Amino acid sequence: MTGSEAAGPLAPFRVLDLTNELGQLAGRMLGDLGAEVIKVEPPGGDQTRFIGPFRGDVVDPEESLHWWTFNTNKLSVTLDLTTAGGQELFGRLLDTADFLLETTPPDAAAAIGLGVESISASHPKLVHTSITPFGRDGPYAHWKATDLVGTAMGGLSSLCGAPGRQPIRPTASQGYAQVSAQAVVGTLIAHYQRTKTGRGQHVDQSMQEAVTFTHDNASPTWDIRGVNNGRPGNGREIGGYKSGQYVYEAADGYVAALSYGGLFGLTARQSIEWLDHHGMARDLTSDEWLAKLDATQGILIPPAGPDADYLNETLVAFCKQFTRAQLVAEAQQIRNGWGIVHTPKDLLENEHLAEREYWQELEHEDGQVTYPGPWAKLSKTPISIRHRAPHVGEHNDYVYGELLGLSGEAITQLENAGTI
Amino acid sequence: MTTELPDRVFEGLRVADFAWVGVGPLVSKYLADHGAEVIRIESSVRPEPLRRAPPFVDDEPGLDNSGYYADFNSSKHCASLNLQHPDGVALAKRIVEHCDIVTESFTPKAMRGWGMTYEDLCEVRPDLIMISMPMYGLTGPWSMWQGYGHVLQAAAGISHLTAYPGEEPIGTGVAYTDFLVPHFAAAALLAALDHRQRTGEGQNIDFGQMEAAIHATETMVLDYTVNGREQIARGAGHEAYHPYNTYQCAPRSGEVGGDDDDRWIAITVTNDAELTALLQVAGHPRWRSLSEDALDAKIAEWTRTQQAEALMQQLQEAGVPAGVVQTPEDLRNDPQLAHRGHFWFLDHPTMGRRAYDGPSFRLSDTPAALTKAAPLLGADNEYVYKDIVGMSEAEYIEHLVSGAFE
Repeated sequence: MTGSEAAGPLAPFRVLDLTNELGQLAGRMLGDLGAEVIKVEPPGGDQTRFIGPFRGDVVDPEESLHWWTFNTNKLSVTLDLTTAGGQELFGRLLDTADFLLETTPPDAAAAIGLGVESISASHPKLVHTSITPFGRDGPYAHWKATDLVGTAMGGLSSLCGAPGRQPIRPTASQGYAQVSAQAVVGTLIAHYQRTKTGRGQHVDQSMQEAVTFTHDNASPTWDIRGVNNGRPGNGREIGGYKSGQYVYEAADGYVAALSYGGLFGLTARQSIEWLDHHGMARDLTSDEWLAKLDATQGILIPPAGPDADYLNETLVAFCKQFTRAQLVAEAQQIRNGWGIVHTPKDLLENEHLAEREYWQELEHEDGQVTYPGPWAKLSKTPISIRHRAPHVGEHNDYVYGELLGLSGEAITQLENAGTI
Repeated sequence: MTTELPDRVFEGLRVADFAWVGVGPLVSKYLADHGAEVIRIESSVRPEPLRRAPPFVDDEPGLDNSGYYADFNSSKHCASLNLQHPDGVALAKRIVEHCDIVTESFTPKAMRGWGMTYEDLCEVRPDLIMISMPMYGLTGPWSMWQGYGHVLQAAAGISHLTAYPGEEPIGTGVAYTDFLVPHFAAAALLAALDHRQRTGEGQNIDFGQMEAAIHATETMVLDYTVNGREQIARGAGHEAYHPYNTYQCAPRSGEVGGDDDDRWIAITVTNDAELTALLQVAGHPRWRSLSEDALDAKIAEWTRTQQAEALMQQLQEAGVPAGVVQTPEDLRNDPQLAHRGHFWFLDHPTMGRRAYDGPSFRLSDTPAALTKAAPLLGADNEYVYKDIVGMSEAEYIEHLVSGAFE
């Protein structure tokens, strides 16, 4: 699918994107939805171009796979916002924009012309979204956060890892993913309001708070039972109750099983028949065991103690005998929602995604590169991944010339002055 | 008792929410908390699984007593309807006729079996926007597969990247993608809504949860497709930055090894200035010459004598990105979240006054407002079937007696 087909739902709109790694996915999602997203970089290139990994491990601002991943569908202009000329030009860019996304620290925003009040006064129709670690105001507003600090302060890390060992985080930054994706939702809610009133507004998005709602059921569990769900290791805690193990080793990798009491909570009888079919049910077919397991089905509280250990040992032994594909296919036949623990290679070779034509080839100057494809299929206004991430200032002529109507001479002057 | 609400963004928009568990209800929660009239359509014959999941108030299992369900369903209505009943599907369509949006998250065979696909429902509501959110999408060889968020995080590659280095891929301790993909689904839905606002045209959205979740794996895909490298899990750590880790602090109270000895802090350094600041706070500028492992060990030794909250304050004031590994209890006491009003406290008829999560963003003019606690199963039957659908009292009683509302 390419840009020559039907336009995305946000095709009529333009976005100025001044985000760092905290918010880059947000601009990209709006671009995926069809908006024209202009990434504004300082002359010399955005700092996120220096985040690895790099193609062939060559550290170069045009070779960052981080940049490539989060800037497809965007255009790039260079602009020095620390100069008066740069800020004046930025104001003219804002005149043409429907959305502004930025990740400027709250105490630095006004100095570079990104004060919320002044922008709202000069551009009342704009939806202006600020993405910051903790929010625009409040006691922690001036604090800094990386992804790990975000996952820690938002509560996700306290639920990741094993008891008695250190808390961990998903290595692919989830604080950044969460805050970006949730910022898009807030931005589009403000946009919907604008379609009714013509007025824009400010959206104040916090990474810490975005992570907070990944707690699953931990917040009501504290509220209602006064118990902290903790680090469950290989499993979950639901309502303060520890589930069974949920990742099992198969003959060729790992599978993920249902966590309510391991395999057994939801469909115990079918599951035992399944094990029995392979001669590996041990004594779980006994009336005593079936009665115990039936008792767990009405409410989703997993069994605990020696029973749980026994069930788990049974499953550990069972899973090792079969491949991942066989285990999951058979589990799904009895309506047990197991899945495969995919590695990157598995995903790229996955038949289901291939059949859905998920992967997207994009042209780079020296060949094609495979990217993840649209994250939803809209029947009338498709999401599309249209083109590779831009080079530094690749679209200066289009943006400053065509959009703002500057002459070639004027653009050259701005370049020579270091403004763009 | 109701105070004046700010202008509600989705005032006048009505949603028939057939979805269940995490993903669908969290999408419609965004709409409900910003003023849409969201009608959850549920049955006591095959209850929404979260109504059966703990935590329960007083540890009493009951369909109207689950905090897990409640948190995801603020500001919504609920009509009960048994879609297996002979009149069930016809009644569902009569509700849909009055709705702008339909959300659902079953495996595709459910809506097909009931004759309630997008095409079917367009016959009663031509400008409908419908979003289907099965694990693996509406088509393809795995489309009929079931799953839950803790399985999907594995299928999407996130669990592969969530582990202690070199150990089994345990993933997060939560049904992670249930709290990730709803934002993508809501973004697609809101964009479709904008399109309808401008053109009058509805559409169908095939939202495969795995396909959205893969977009939250940072550079995992390109590192493989470009460099042929399978990225690996690094515990709390980071490929490029060091120190970047979680470190144990002193127990908040009591002794080392006691019940309260599980306080941790995240300390991260992304440039030389932050390293200088960190070592200054630690009082050991010379640690700079240590190897990464030796430095990590020294920091861990030092933090073990420090209170986590005080150390966080000190490090942040010195310009070091650091933060306590906050527990659910800590979040409830967090001054920043309190400042932003993250938690809402709402009165529920059987569960009492409980905390609910609000959205993580603040809109300056039209902020969210959680207008009521989660609905009891079937709480709004009379409103939905009489006031919206337009049933007479006699017809309502007839369906009630026949069991259609079970």
